Amino acid sequence: MANPTLPSDDELIPRLLANDETSYAQIVAAYHGLMVHLARAIVGEAIADEVAQEAWVAVLRALPKFERRSSLKTWILRIVSNTAKSRLRHESRTVSLDESLEENPIIDPARLKPNAHWASPPAMWHADTPDALLASTELRRCISDALATLPPLQRAAVTLRDMQGLSMEAICKILEVSESNGRVLLHRARSRIQMAIEEHEGQ
Amino acid sequence: MPSCKDITEHSSDYLDRNLPWWKRMGYWLHLAMCVHCRRYVDQLKLTIDTIGKSPDATTPNVSPEEIQAIVEKMKRSTKNKDG
Repeated sequence: MANPTLPSDDELIPRLLANDETSYAQIVAAYHGLMVHLARAIVGEAIADEVAQEAWVAVLRALPKFERRSSLKTWILRIVSNTAKSRLRHESRTVSLDESLEENPIIDPARLKPNAHWASPPAMWHADTPDALLASTELRRCISDALATLPPLQRAAVTLRDMQGLSMEAICKILEVSESNGRVLLHRARSRIQMAIEEHEGQ
Repeated sequence: MPSCKDITEHSSDYLDRNLPWWKRMGYWLHLAMCVHCRRYVDQLKLTIDTIGKSPDATTPNVSPEEIQAIVEKMKRSTKNKDG
């Protein structure tokens, strides 16, 4: 998880607290893209950069009180997540950041028999590697559209785990969810993308 | 042994190795016998790998000019706080 281009948290934090401009530039270069990626998952493309910039100011303001219960990177991303979530709530652009599992079962119940085994099992896909699937422009668009329609916290979970490779422990701290909720968010997001690919493959 | 529905609900935990060993055994036994669930789990694995390689997975680029502009903003914010 450590960024090889950055000094350790132990070295970096005192320098940031001393308002060292070089350290500001180092940390922005290391994390701003990732912060925009996370903000984009929660609030969308249009204001993601603005949210990430707002988060930097919040990071500097809160840094003297940073208790080191996580890495600096995880703590910064949590500030981004909270800034983005409060922005969403403020703009009332969404009723809820997530949906309950009961409302959206992983598999359409019509595809299962009463004994909970397959009635309509998954069909074979025409491709069996990511590169072969992504060779189709239509399928790339289909995946992108499916990602765009995910609830914000599901999109954030899949962005941090499957795109950025963060650990579940870090993701749960960043999104402020329990470990079991974090896993449910991630699995629902992946399943929705899987269903989108399946629908495309079935056409 | 888990049902096909159980398999679909916990397949991320299986792939991410988050299941306790006894559940993992039941899962493994079910997959050994059920071609549909094997396909379902293989396709979930392929989905995860595809998400990671999709254009949406690319971390946004940050130019040196953008970095400098953010640093200036950070400096201003600390001056305001100190002042």
